[in-house]
Amino acid sequence: MKRHSNNFIEHSLIGTLDFLKESLFAEEFALKKGFLQLLDPRIKVLTFLLLIIQAVLIKNILILFYLYALCLLLAAISRINLGFFLKRTWVFIPLFSLVIAIPALFSIFSPGEALVTFKLLSIKFVITQQGLSGAALFVMRVITCVSFAVLMSITTKHFELLKVLRIFKVPQVFVMIAGMCYRYVYLFIGIIENTYLAIKSRTGTRIHYKRGQQIVAWNIAYLWSRSYCLNEQVYQAMLSRGYTGEPEVLNDFRARIKDWLWLFCVLGICAFLFYLSRR
Amino acid sequence: MDSQIFELRNVHFSYLGKFPALCGIDVEINRGEKIAVIGANGSGKSTLLQMLDGLIFPGQGQIKVFGKELKESDFQDADFSENFRKKIGLVFQNPDVQLFCPTVREDILFGPLQLGMKKKEIEARLEEVVGILGINGLLERSPHQLSIGEKRKIAIASTLIINPDVLILDEPTAGLDPLTTRHIIELLIDENAAGKTIITSTHDLHIVEEIADRVFVFSQEKKIIRSGNPCEILDDIQLLEDNNLIHVHSHRHTGKTHTHPHQHLEHHHEG
Ligand SMILES: Nc1ncnc2c1ncn2[C@@H]1O[C@H](COP(=O)(O)OP(=O)(O)OP(=O)(O)O)[C@@H](O)[C@H]1O
Ligand SMILES: [Mg+2]
Repeated sequence: MKRHSNNFIEHSLIGTLDFLKESLFAEEFALKKGFLQLLDPRIKVLTFLLLIIQAVLIKNILILFYLYALCLLLAAISRINLGFFLKRTWVFIPLFSLVIAIPALFSIFSPGEALVTFKLLSIKFVITQQGLSGAALFVMRVITCVSFAVLMSITTKHFELLKVLRIFKVPQVFVMIAGMCYRYVYLFIGIIENTYLAIKSRTGTRIHYKRGQQIVAWNIAYLWSRSYCLNEQVYQAMLSRGYTGEPEVLNDFRARIKDWLWLFCVLGICAFLFYLSRR
Repeated sequence: MDSQIFELRNVHFSYLGKFPALCGIDVEINRGEKIAVIGANGSGKSTLLQMLDGLIFPGQGQIKVFGKELKESDFQDADFSENFRKKIGLVFQNPDVQLFCPTVREDILFGPLQLGMKKKEIEARLEEVVGILGINGLLERSPHQLSIGEKRKIAIASTLIINPDVLILDEPTAGLDPLTTRHIIELLIDENAAGKTIITSTHDLHIVEEIADRVFVFSQEKKIIRSGNPCEILDDIQLLEDNNLIHVHSHRHTGKTHTHPHQHLEHHHEG
Protein backbone atom coordinates (compact mmCIF):
# COMPACT_ATOMS: atom_id res chain seq x y z
CA MET A 1 0.00 0.00 0.00
CA LYS A 2 2.76 2.39 0.96
CA ARG A 3 4.69 1.56 -2.12
CA HIS A 4 1.67 1.96 -4.23
CA SER A 5 0.81 5.47 -3.09
CA ASN A 6 4.39 6.50 -3.35
CA ASN A 7 4.60 5.27 -6.90
CA PHE A 8 1.43 7.10 -7.65
CA ILE A 9 2.86 10.38 -6.42
CA GLU A 10 5.99 9.80 -8.37
CA HIS A 11 4.21 8.85 -11.56
CA SER A 12 1.68 11.61 -11.54
CA LEU A 13 4.22 14.25 -10.61
CA ILE A 14 6.85 13.29 -13.14
CA GLY A 15 4.17 12.63 -15.76
CA THR A 16 2.59 16.03 -15.34
CA LEU A 17 5.93 17.75 -15.46
CA ASP A 18 6.92 15.91 -18.61
CA PHE A 19 3.65 16.76 -20.25
CA LEU A 20 3.99 20.42 -19.35
CA LYS A 21 7.54 20.55 -20.59
CA GLU A 22 6.68 18.84 -23.80
CA SER A 23 3.69 20.94 -24.69
CA LEU A 24 5.12 24.27 -23.59
CA PHE A 25 8.77 24.03 -24.31
CA ALA A 26 9.18 21.66 -27.20
CA GLU A 27 10.66 23.68 -29.98
CA GLU A 28 10.86 20.56 -32.05
CA PHE A 29 8.80 21.91 -34.94
CA ALA A 30 10.22 25.41 -34.76
CA LEU A 31 13.69 24.00 -35.33
CA LYS A 32 12.80 22.08 -38.49
CA LYS A 33 13.78 23.70 -41.73
CA GLY A 34 10.39 23.92 -43.43
CA PHE A 35 8.74 26.72 -45.38
CA LEU A 36 7.26 28.68 -42.49
CA GLN A 37 10.22 28.19 -40.19
CA LEU A 38 12.48 29.95 -42.68
CA LEU A 39 10.25 33.00 -43.15
CA ASP A 40 11.10 36.28 -41.47
CA PRO A 41 9.11 36.10 -38.21
CA ARG A 42 7.80 39.64 -38.59
CA ILE A 43 6.30 38.92 -41.98
CA LYS A 44 5.03 35.55 -40.81
CA VAL A 45 3.16 37.09 -37.88
CA LEU A 46 1.76 39.84 -40.08
CA THR A 47 0.51 37.50 -42.80
CA PHE A 48 -1.00 35.09 -40.30
CA LEU A 49 -2.85 37.94 -38.67
CA LEU A 50 -4.23 38.88 -42.10
CA LEU A 51 -5.32 35.32 -42.76
CA ILE A 52 -6.99 35.04 -39.37
CA ILE A 53 -8.85 38.31 -39.91
CA GLN A 54 -10.02 36.93 -43.27
CA ALA A 55 -11.27 33.79 -41.58
CA VAL A 56 -13.23 35.83 -39.08
CA LEU A 57 -14.85 38.04 -41.72
CA ILE A 58 -15.78 35.48 -44.37
CA LYS A 59 -19.39 34.34 -44.35
CA ASN A 60 -19.17 31.72 -47.06
CA ILE A 61 -18.40 28.25 -45.80
CA LEU A 62 -16.83 27.14 -49.06
CA ILE A 63 -14.28 29.94 -49.02
CA LEU A 64 -13.52 29.15 -45.39
CA PHE A 65 -12.93 25.62 -46.46
CA TYR A 66 -10.35 26.79 -49.02
CA LEU A 67 -8.60 28.81 -46.33
CA TYR A 68 -8.48 25.79 -44.08
CA ALA A 69 -7.04 23.72 -46.91
CA LEU A 70 -4.39 26.40 -47.40
CA CYS A 71 -3.52 26.14 -43.73
CA LEU A 72 -3.10 22.36 -43.92
CA LEU A 73 -1.01 22.77 -47.04
CA LEU A 74 1.26 25.22 -45.25
CA ALA A 75 1.59 22.79 -42.36
CA ALA A 76 2.53 20.04 -44.77
CA ILE A 77 5.25 22.03 -46.52
CA SER A 78 6.59 23.08 -43.13
CA ARG A 79 7.22 19.46 -42.20
CA ILE A 80 4.58 19.36 -39.51
CA ASN A 81 3.21 15.94 -38.76
CA LEU A 82 -0.41 16.32 -39.93
CA GLY A 83 -1.80 13.83 -37.44
CA PHE A 84 -0.24 15.79 -34.59
CA PHE A 85 -1.44 19.05 -36.04
CA LEU A 86 -5.04 17.91 -36.44
CA LYS A 87 -5.12 16.48 -32.93
CA ARG A 88 -3.74 19.65 -31.48
CA THR A 89 -6.24 21.90 -33.24
CA TRP A 90 -9.45 19.84 -33.11
CA VAL A 91 -9.05 19.61 -29.34
CA PHE A 92 -10.49 23.11 -29.14
CA ILE A 93 -13.64 22.39 -31.11
CA PRO A 94 -15.77 20.60 -28.48
CA LEU A 95 -15.07 23.41 -26.08
CA PHE A 96 -16.31 26.13 -28.41
CA SER A 97 -19.12 24.07 -29.85
CA LEU A 98 -20.59 23.36 -26.47
CA VAL A 99 -20.88 27.01 -25.61
CA ILE A 100 -21.82 28.57 -28.90
CA ALA A 101 -22.46 26.22 -31.80
CA ILE A 102 -24.91 23.77 -30.22
CA PRO A 103 -27.29 26.40 -28.80
CA ALA A 104 -27.20 28.12 -32.18
CA LEU A 105 -28.65 25.01 -33.82
CA PHE A 106 -32.04 25.52 -32.25
CA SER A 107 -34.94 27.67 -33.23
CA ILE A 108 -34.87 29.82 -30.10
CA PHE A 109 -31.54 31.25 -31.18
CA SER A 110 -31.74 30.79 -34.94
CA PRO A 111 -35.31 31.12 -36.15
CA GLY A 112 -36.04 29.65 -39.60
CA GLU A 113 -37.23 26.56 -41.47
CA ALA A 114 -37.55 23.50 -39.28
CA LEU A 115 -35.25 20.64 -40.21
CA VAL A 116 -35.59 18.24 -37.30
CA THR A 117 -38.06 18.43 -34.48
CA PHE A 118 -37.85 16.37 -31.34
CA LYS A 119 -39.20 16.38 -27.84
CA LEU A 120 -37.10 16.16 -24.73
CA LEU A 121 -38.54 16.40 -21.22
CA SER A 122 -41.77 17.56 -22.84
CA ILE A 123 -40.04 20.57 -24.38
CA LYS A 124 -40.18 20.85 -28.13
CA PHE A 125 -36.81 21.37 -29.84
CA VAL A 126 -36.52 22.49 -33.41
CA ILE A 127 -33.27 22.40 -35.32
CA THR A 128 -33.50 24.91 -38.11
CA GLN A 129 -31.86 25.03 -41.53
CA GLN A 130 -30.34 28.39 -40.70
CA GLY A 131 -29.22 27.11 -37.33
CA LEU A 132 -27.43 24.16 -38.86
CA SER A 133 -25.58 26.13 -41.51
CA GLY A 134 -24.75 28.80 -38.96
CA ALA A 135 -23.29 26.19 -36.62
CA ALA A 136 -21.31 24.57 -39.43
CA LEU A 137 -19.96 27.96 -40.48
CA PHE A 138 -19.02 28.65 -36.92
CA VAL A 139 -17.15 25.39 -36.42
CA MET A 140 -15.34 25.88 -39.70
CA ARG A 141 -14.39 29.41 -38.75
CA VAL A 142 -13.09 28.40 -35.33
CA ILE A 143 -11.07 25.52 -36.67
CA THR A 144 -9.51 27.73 -39.35
CA CYS A 145 -8.57 30.48 -36.93
CA VAL A 146 -7.24 28.06 -34.34
CA SER A 147 -5.26 26.19 -36.96
CA PHE A 148 -3.57 29.31 -38.25
CA ALA A 149 -2.76 30.45 -34.71
CA VAL A 150 -1.37 27.08 -33.69
CA LEU A 151 0.59 26.75 -36.92
CA MET A 152 2.20 30.13 -36.35
CA SER A 153 3.12 29.39 -32.78
CA ILE A 154 4.61 25.96 -33.41
CA THR A 155 6.72 27.09 -36.32
CA THR A 156 8.17 30.14 -34.56
CA LYS A 157 10.70 30.04 -31.78
CA HIS A 158 9.28 31.30 -28.56
CA PHE A 159 11.71 34.18 -28.18
CA GLU A 160 11.27 35.30 -31.78
CA LEU A 161 7.56 35.61 -31.19
CA LEU A 162 8.17 37.80 -28.15
CA LYS A 163 10.61 39.90 -30.12
CA VAL A 164 8.13 40.41 -32.93
CA LEU A 165 5.52 41.55 -30.42
CA ARG A 166 7.99 44.12 -29.13
CA ILE A 167 8.87 45.28 -32.61
CA PHE A 168 5.15 45.69 -33.38
CA LYS A 169 4.96 47.94 -30.32
CA VAL A 170 2.78 45.71 -28.22
CA PRO A 171 3.04 47.34 -24.77
CA GLN A 172 6.12 45.94 -23.15
CA VAL A 173 4.33 44.99 -19.94
CA PHE A 174 2.47 42.24 -21.79
CA VAL A 175 5.53 40.98 -23.57
CA MET A 176 7.62 41.00 -20.41
CA ILE A 177 4.95 39.20 -18.45
CA ALA A 178 4.57 36.58 -21.15
CA GLY A 179 8.32 36.08 -21.32
CA MET A 180 8.79 35.97 -17.59
CA CYS A 181 5.92 33.55 -17.10
CA TYR A 182 7.42 31.24 -19.65
CA ARG A 183 10.81 31.38 -17.99
CA TYR A 184 9.47 30.96 -14.50
CA VAL A 185 7.26 28.04 -15.35
CA TYR A 186 10.35 26.36 -16.69
CA LEU A 187 12.41 27.32 -13.67
CA PHE A 188 9.70 26.03 -11.34
CA ILE A 189 9.43 22.74 -13.11
CA GLY A 190 13.18 22.43 -12.67
CA ILE A 191 13.02 23.35 -9.00
CA ILE A 192 10.19 20.90 -8.32
CA GLU A 193 12.06 18.14 -10.08
CA ASN A 194 15.28 18.83 -8.25
CA THR A 195 13.57 19.18 -4.89
CA TYR A 196 11.82 15.91 -5.49
CA LEU A 197 15.13 14.25 -6.28
CA ALA A 198 16.69 15.84 -3.22
CA ILE A 199 13.91 14.51 -1.00
CA LYS A 200 14.27 11.12 -2.56
CA SER A 201 18.00 11.07 -2.05
CA ARG A 202 17.64 11.97 1.61
CA THR A 203 14.72 9.78 2.56
CA GLY A 204 15.07 6.91 0.16
CA THR A 205 12.04 5.91 -1.80
CA ARG A 206 10.00 4.73 1.14
CA ILE A 207 8.20 7.86 2.20
CA HIS A 208 4.84 7.40 3.83
CA TYR A 209 2.33 9.14 1.64
CA LYS A 210 1.14 11.36 4.51
CA ARG A 211 4.68 12.56 4.88
CA GLY A 212 4.81 12.92 1.11
CA GLN A 213 1.81 15.20 1.21
CA GLN A 214 3.39 17.31 3.90
CA ILE A 215 6.54 17.65 1.89
CA VAL A 216 4.60 18.68 -1.17
CA ALA A 217 2.54 21.25 0.75
CA TRP A 218 5.59 22.70 2.39
CA ASN A 219 7.31 22.84 -0.94
CA ILE A 220 4.60 24.88 -2.57
CA ALA A 221 4.75 27.45 0.22
CA TYR A 222 8.50 27.51 -0.09
CA LEU A 223 8.32 27.95 -3.84
CA TRP A 224 6.25 31.08 -3.49
CA SER A 225 8.60 32.74 -1.08
CA ARG A 226 11.48 31.68 -3.24
CA SER A 227 9.92 33.12 -6.34
CA TYR A 228 9.39 36.42 -4.59
CA CYS A 229 13.01 36.54 -3.51
CA LEU A 230 14.22 35.55 -6.95
CA ASN A 231 12.08 38.19 -8.59
CA GLU A 232 13.54 40.90 -6.47
CA GLN A 233 17.07 39.78 -7.19
CA VAL A 234 16.36 39.36 -10.89
CA TYR A 235 15.09 42.91 -10.92
CA GLN A 236 18.27 44.10 -9.22
CA ALA A 237 20.36 42.24 -11.74
CA MET A 238 18.43 43.98 -14.52
CA LEU A 239 19.00 47.36 -12.86
CA SER A 240 22.67 46.58 -12.57
CA ARG A 241 22.92 46.24 -16.32
CA GLY A 242 21.19 49.53 -17.02
CA TYR A 243 17.51 48.55 -17.16
CA THR A 244 15.30 51.58 -16.66
CA GLY A 245 11.85 50.15 -17.26
CA GLU A 246 11.81 49.96 -21.03
CA PRO A 247 13.80 47.04 -22.38
CA GLU A 248 15.47 47.53 -25.75
CA VAL A 249 15.27 44.72 -28.25
CA LEU A 250 17.69 44.04 -31.01
CA ASN A 251 15.86 44.02 -34.32
CA ASP A 252 18.14 41.73 -36.26
CA PHE A 253 15.52 40.12 -38.49
CA ARG A 254 16.18 40.33 -42.20
CA ALA A 255 13.43 40.13 -44.79
CA ARG A 256 14.55 38.54 -48.04
CA ILE A 257 12.93 38.37 -51.46
CA LYS A 258 11.16 35.14 -50.51
CA ASP A 259 9.54 36.88 -47.55
CA TRP A 260 8.29 39.76 -49.66
CA LEU A 261 6.94 37.32 -52.25
CA TRP A 262 5.05 35.49 -49.53
CA LEU A 263 3.64 38.76 -48.20
CA PHE A 264 2.36 39.75 -51.67
CA CYS A 265 1.02 36.28 -52.15
CA VAL A 266 -1.04 36.53 -48.95
CA LEU A 267 -2.21 40.04 -49.81
CA GLY A 268 -3.32 38.67 -53.19
CA ILE A 269 -5.19 35.80 -51.58
CA CYS A 270 -6.91 38.16 -49.18
CA ALA A 271 -7.93 40.56 -51.94
CA PHE A 272 -9.25 37.69 -54.03
CA LEU A 273 -11.25 36.21 -51.15
CA PHE A 274 -12.61 39.64 -50.37
CA TYR A 275 -13.69 39.99 -54.00
CA LEU A 276 -15.32 36.54 -53.96
CA SER A 277 -17.31 37.25 -50.85
CA ARG A 278 -18.53 40.62 -52.17
CA ARG A 279 -19.63 39.30 -55.53
CA MET B 1 39.69 62.92 -12.07
CA ASP B 2 40.01 61.88 -8.46
CA SER B 3 41.71 58.54 -8.00
CA GLN B 4 39.34 57.44 -5.29
CA ILE B 5 36.39 55.41 -6.50
CA PHE B 6 34.61 54.22 -3.39
CA GLU B 7 34.61 55.55 0.12
CA LEU B 8 32.38 54.03 2.78
CA ARG B 9 32.11 55.54 6.24
CA ASN B 10 30.60 53.57 9.11
CA VAL B 11 28.08 51.88 6.85
CA HIS B 12 25.33 49.73 8.35
CA PHE B 13 22.79 47.73 6.44
CA SER B 14 20.13 45.23 7.38
CA TYR B 15 17.67 43.30 5.25
CA LEU B 16 14.03 44.15 5.98
CA GLY B 17 15.27 46.11 8.96
CA LYS B 18 15.86 42.99 11.04
CA PHE B 19 18.57 40.83 9.48
CA PRO B 20 21.84 42.70 9.93
CA ALA B 21 24.21 42.20 7.01
CA LEU B 22 26.80 44.98 7.37
CA CYS B 23 27.71 46.45 10.76
CA GLY B 24 30.01 49.43 10.54
CA ILE B 25 32.06 49.16 7.38
CA ASP B 26 34.84 51.60 6.49
CA VAL B 27 36.36 51.08 3.09
CA GLU B 28 38.34 53.08 0.57
CA ILE B 29 39.01 51.78 -2.90
CA ASN B 30 41.14 53.58 -5.46
CA ARG B 31 41.19 53.52 -9.23
CA GLY B 32 43.13 50.61 -10.69
CA GLU B 33 43.27 48.55 -7.51
CA LYS B 34 42.71 44.82 -7.25
CA ILE B 35 40.66 43.98 -4.20
CA ALA B 36 39.65 40.61 -2.79
CA VAL B 37 36.91 40.23 -0.20
CA ILE B 38 37.05 37.08 1.89
CA GLY B 39 34.97 35.87 4.79
CA ALA B 40 32.77 33.03 6.01
CA ASN B 41 29.29 32.36 4.66
CA GLY B 42 26.84 35.04 5.61
CA SER B 43 29.49 37.52 6.67
CA GLY B 44 28.22 40.23 4.33
CA LYS B 45 30.40 39.97 1.23
CA SER B 46 27.60 39.90 -1.30
CA THR B 47 25.80 42.66 0.51
CA LEU B 48 28.85 44.91 0.30
CA LEU B 49 29.32 44.20 -3.40
CA GLN B 50 25.69 44.98 -4.16
CA MET B 51 26.03 48.22 -2.28
CA LEU B 52 29.08 49.16 -4.34
CA ASP B 53 27.00 48.50 -7.45
CA GLY B 54 24.34 50.98 -6.30
CA LEU B 55 21.62 48.36 -5.84
CA ILE B 56 21.14 48.76 -2.10
CA PHE B 57 21.90 51.75 0.06
CA PRO B 58 23.24 52.18 3.60
CA GLY B 59 20.74 52.29 6.41
CA GLN B 60 23.27 54.25 8.38
CA GLY B 61 26.56 55.88 7.43
CA GLN B 62 27.45 57.09 3.95
CA ILE B 63 28.85 55.86 0.68
CA LYS B 64 30.76 58.08 -1.73
CA VAL B 65 31.29 57.00 -5.32
CA PHE B 66 33.67 58.95 -7.56
CA GLY B 67 33.98 61.48 -4.77
CA LYS B 68 30.28 62.22 -4.53
CA GLU B 69 27.80 60.91 -1.99
CA LEU B 70 25.55 58.26 -3.49
CA LYS B 71 21.84 58.29 -2.74
CA GLU B 72 19.00 56.19 -4.03
CA SER B 73 17.31 59.26 -5.49
CA ASP B 74 20.33 59.90 -7.74
CA PHE B 75 19.22 57.03 -9.94
CA GLN B 76 16.03 58.83 -10.92
CA ASP B 77 18.22 60.96 -13.14
CA ALA B 78 18.45 58.91 -16.36
CA ASP B 79 21.86 60.29 -17.36
CA PHE B 80 23.37 59.62 -13.99
CA SER B 81 21.93 56.13 -13.93
CA GLU B 82 23.19 55.26 -17.41
CA ASN B 83 26.62 56.64 -16.66
CA PHE B 84 26.87 54.78 -13.37
CA ARG B 85 25.78 51.46 -14.88
CA LYS B 86 28.28 51.85 -17.69
CA LYS B 87 31.12 52.47 -15.28
CA ILE B 88 30.38 49.81 -12.69
CA GLY B 89 29.44 46.23 -13.46
CA LEU B 90 28.54 43.41 -11.08
CA VAL B 91 28.55 39.68 -11.69
CA PHE B 92 26.06 38.16 -9.26
CA GLN B 93 26.86 35.19 -7.09
CA ASN B 94 23.84 33.24 -8.29
CA PRO B 95 23.93 33.19 -12.10
CA ASP B 96 20.25 32.19 -12.28
CA VAL B 97 19.39 35.64 -11.08
CA GLN B 98 21.36 37.36 -13.75
CA LEU B 99 20.09 35.40 -16.72
CA PHE B 100 16.50 36.01 -17.68
CA CYS B 101 16.38 36.25 -21.46
CA PRO B 102 15.23 33.46 -23.75
CA THR B 103 18.62 32.91 -25.34
CA VAL B 104 22.19 33.29 -24.19
CA ARG B 105 22.88 35.77 -26.98
CA GLU B 106 20.09 38.07 -25.89
CA ASP B 107 21.14 37.80 -22.30
CA ILE B 108 24.63 38.93 -23.14
CA LEU B 109 23.27 41.76 -25.29
CA PHE B 110 20.78 42.94 -22.67
CA GLY B 111 23.17 45.33 -20.93
CA PRO B 112 24.66 47.04 -23.98
CA LEU B 113 21.21 47.49 -25.55
CA GLN B 114 19.82 49.07 -22.38
CA LEU B 115 22.81 51.36 -22.21
CA GLY B 116 22.37 52.47 -25.80
CA MET B 117 25.63 51.18 -27.23
CA LYS B 118 26.00 51.29 -31.02
CA LYS B 119 25.09 48.15 -32.93
CA LYS B 120 28.54 47.87 -34.54
CA GLU B 121 30.27 48.24 -31.22
CA ILE B 122 27.97 45.70 -29.60
CA GLU B 123 28.72 43.12 -32.26
CA ALA B 124 32.45 43.63 -31.97
CA ARG B 125 32.34 43.39 -28.19
CA LEU B 126 30.17 40.28 -28.36
CA GLU B 127 32.67 38.52 -30.54
CA GLU B 128 35.51 39.51 -28.24
CA VAL B 129 33.78 38.40 -25.04
CA VAL B 130 32.60 35.15 -26.58
CA GLY B 131 36.15 34.45 -27.64
CA ILE B 132 37.62 35.18 -24.23
CA LEU B 133 35.19 32.93 -22.41
CA GLY B 134 34.93 30.24 -25.08
CA ILE B 135 31.15 30.19 -25.14
CA ASN B 136 30.59 30.28 -28.86
CA GLY B 137 28.62 27.05 -28.91
CA LEU B 138 26.18 28.27 -26.29
CA LEU B 139 24.86 31.46 -27.90
CA GLU B 140 21.59 30.07 -29.25
CA ARG B 141 20.79 27.96 -26.17
CA SER B 142 18.42 28.87 -23.36
CA PRO B 143 20.38 30.08 -20.34
CA HIS B 144 18.20 28.13 -17.95
CA GLN B 145 19.09 24.88 -19.65
CA LEU B 146 22.82 25.18 -19.05
CA SER B 147 25.05 23.73 -16.36
CA ILE B 148 25.92 25.92 -13.41
CA GLY B 149 29.46 26.53 -14.62
CA GLU B 150 28.26 27.44 -18.09
CA LYS B 151 25.70 29.80 -16.59
CA ARG B 152 28.45 31.48 -14.61
CA LYS B 153 30.47 32.06 -17.75
CA ILE B 154 27.45 33.62 -19.45
CA ALA B 155 26.84 35.82 -16.42
CA ILE B 156 30.44 37.00 -16.55
CA ALA B 157 30.15 37.63 -20.29
CA SER B 158 26.97 39.64 -19.85
CA THR B 159 28.75 42.02 -17.50
CA LEU B 160 32.08 42.05 -19.29
CA ILE B 161 30.48 43.13 -22.56
CA ILE B 162 29.51 46.45 -20.98
CA ASN B 163 33.23 47.07 -20.49
CA PRO B 164 32.88 48.82 -17.12
CA ASP B 165 35.76 50.67 -15.46
CA VAL B 166 35.00 48.93 -12.20
CA LEU B 167 34.37 45.21 -12.39
CA ILE B 168 32.82 43.62 -9.32
CA LEU B 169 32.57 39.84 -9.18
CA ASP B 170 30.82 37.81 -6.52
CA GLU B 171 32.56 34.43 -6.31
CA PRO B 172 33.30 34.25 -10.03
CA THR B 173 35.21 30.97 -9.86
CA ALA B 174 32.82 28.96 -7.68
CA GLY B 175 31.87 25.81 -9.53
CA LEU B 176 34.24 26.29 -12.42
CA ASP B 177 36.72 23.68 -13.56
CA PRO B 178 40.45 24.38 -13.03
CA LEU B 179 41.16 25.45 -16.59
CA THR B 180 38.23 27.86 -16.72
CA THR B 181 39.19 29.20 -13.29
CA ARG B 182 42.65 29.88 -14.70
CA HIS B 183 41.13 31.71 -17.67
CA ILE B 184 39.01 33.87 -15.41
CA ILE B 185 41.97 34.78 -13.23
CA GLU B 186 44.05 35.69 -16.25
CA LEU B 187 41.17 37.69 -17.60
CA LEU B 188 40.92 39.66 -14.36
CA ILE B 189 44.65 40.30 -14.31
CA ASP B 190 44.57 41.52 -17.91
CA GLU B 191 41.61 43.77 -17.30
CA ASN B 192 43.39 45.21 -14.29
CA ALA B 193 46.54 45.80 -16.31
CA ALA B 194 44.37 47.70 -18.77
CA GLY B 195 43.49 50.08 -15.95
CA LYS B 196 40.27 48.61 -14.57
CA THR B 197 39.46 48.33 -10.92
CA ILE B 198 38.68 44.74 -9.96
CA ILE B 199 36.78 43.77 -6.83
CA THR B 200 36.26 40.05 -6.23
CA SER B 201 34.76 38.09 -3.38
CA THR B 202 35.93 34.54 -3.03
CA HIS B 203 36.34 31.54 -0.77
CA ASP B 204 39.24 30.26 -2.80
CA LEU B 205 42.35 31.38 -0.93
CA HIS B 206 44.62 29.95 -3.63
CA ILE B 207 43.66 32.64 -6.06
CA VAL B 208 43.68 35.56 -3.65
CA GLU B 209 47.30 36.45 -4.15
CA GLU B 210 46.85 36.73 -7.89
CA ILE B 211 43.62 38.65 -7.98
CA ALA B 212 44.35 41.11 -5.21
CA ASP B 213 46.85 43.61 -4.03
CA ARG B 214 44.62 44.35 -1.05
CA VAL B 215 42.39 41.95 0.88
CA PHE B 216 39.43 42.69 3.13
CA VAL B 217 38.64 40.03 5.70
CA PHE B 218 35.05 39.91 6.92
CA SER B 219 34.32 38.54 10.36
CA GLN B 220 31.19 36.77 11.57
CA GLU B 221 30.15 40.09 13.12
CA LYS B 222 29.69 41.39 9.56
CA LYS B 223 32.56 43.84 9.89
CA ILE B 224 35.85 44.14 8.12
CA ILE B 225 38.19 42.83 10.75
CA ARG B 226 41.42 43.26 8.79
CA SER B 227 42.59 44.67 5.52
CA GLY B 228 46.05 44.47 4.11
CA ASN B 229 48.21 42.91 1.46
CA PRO B 230 47.53 39.29 0.58
CA CYS B 231 50.84 37.79 1.79
CA GLU B 232 50.43 39.24 5.23
CA ILE B 233 46.88 38.05 5.57
CA LEU B 234 47.38 34.60 4.12
CA ASP B 235 50.28 34.05 6.54
CA ASP B 236 48.20 34.97 9.55
CA ILE B 237 46.90 31.47 10.26
CA GLN B 238 45.24 32.55 13.48
CA LEU B 239 43.21 35.24 11.74
CA LEU B 240 42.09 32.86 8.99
CA GLU B 241 41.20 30.19 11.48
CA ASP B 242 39.21 32.54 13.67
CA ASN B 243 37.17 33.63 10.70
CA ASN B 244 36.35 30.21 9.32
CA LEU B 245 38.53 30.59 6.27
CA ILE B 246 40.66 27.55 7.07
CA HIS B 247 40.24 24.73 9.48
CA VAL B 248 42.77 22.56 11.21
CA HIS B 249 42.79 19.25 9.58
CA SER B 250 44.46 16.22 11.07
CA HIS B 251 45.40 13.08 9.30
CA ARG B 252 47.87 10.23 9.56
CA HIS B 253 51.02 9.49 7.64
CA THR B 254 52.57 6.09 8.23
CA GLY B 255 51.30 5.83 11.77
CA LYS B 256 52.06 9.38 12.87
CA THR B 257 49.22 11.84 13.30
CA HIS B 258 49.95 15.38 12.43
CA THR B 259 47.84 18.45 12.00
CA HIS B 260 48.10 21.27 9.57
CA PRO B 261 45.84 24.05 8.48
CA HIS B 262 43.65 23.15 5.61
CA GLN B 263 42.27 25.69 3.22
CA HIS B 264 38.83 25.76 1.83
CA LEU B 265 39.19 24.84 -1.79
CA GLU B 266 36.27 25.02 -4.14
CA HIS B 267 33.52 26.27 -1.99
CA HIS B 268 30.33 26.32 -3.81
CA HIS B 269 26.73 26.80 -2.94
CA GLU B 270 23.73 27.95 -4.83
CA GLY B 271 20.76 29.94 -3.65
N1 LIG C 1 17.43 38.67 1.04
C1 LIG C 1 17.82 38.58 2.33
N2 LIG C 1 16.93 38.67 3.32
C2 LIG C 1 17.30 38.61 4.61
N3 LIG C 1 18.56 38.43 5.02
C3 LIG C 1 19.51 38.32 4.09
C4 LIG C 1 19.20 38.40 2.70
N4 LIG C 1 20.35 38.25 2.01
C5 LIG C 1 21.33 38.11 2.93
N5 LIG C 1 20.83 38.15 4.18
C6 LIG C 1 21.60 38.04 5.42
O1 LIG C 1 22.63 39.01 5.38
C7 LIG C 1 23.85 38.48 5.87
C8 LIG C 1 24.96 38.69 4.88
O2 LIG C 1 24.65 37.99 3.70
P1 LIG C 1 25.57 37.99 2.43
O3 LIG C 1 24.79 37.38 1.33
O4 LIG C 1 26.12 39.34 2.21
O5 LIG C 1 26.73 36.99 2.87
P2 LIG C 1 28.00 36.47 2.08
O6 LIG C 1 29.19 36.88 2.83
O7 LIG C 1 27.91 36.86 0.66
O8 LIG C 1 27.84 34.90 2.22
P3 LIG C 1 28.19 33.72 1.20
O9 LIG C 1 29.61 33.40 1.34
O10 LIG C 1 27.35 32.62 1.71
O11 LIG C 1 27.81 34.19 -0.15
C9 LIG C 1 23.58 37.03 6.20
O12 LIG C 1 23.48 36.91 7.59
C10 LIG C 1 22.27 36.71 5.54
O13 LIG C 1 21.53 35.84 6.34
MG1 LIG D 1 27.68 35.88 -1.09
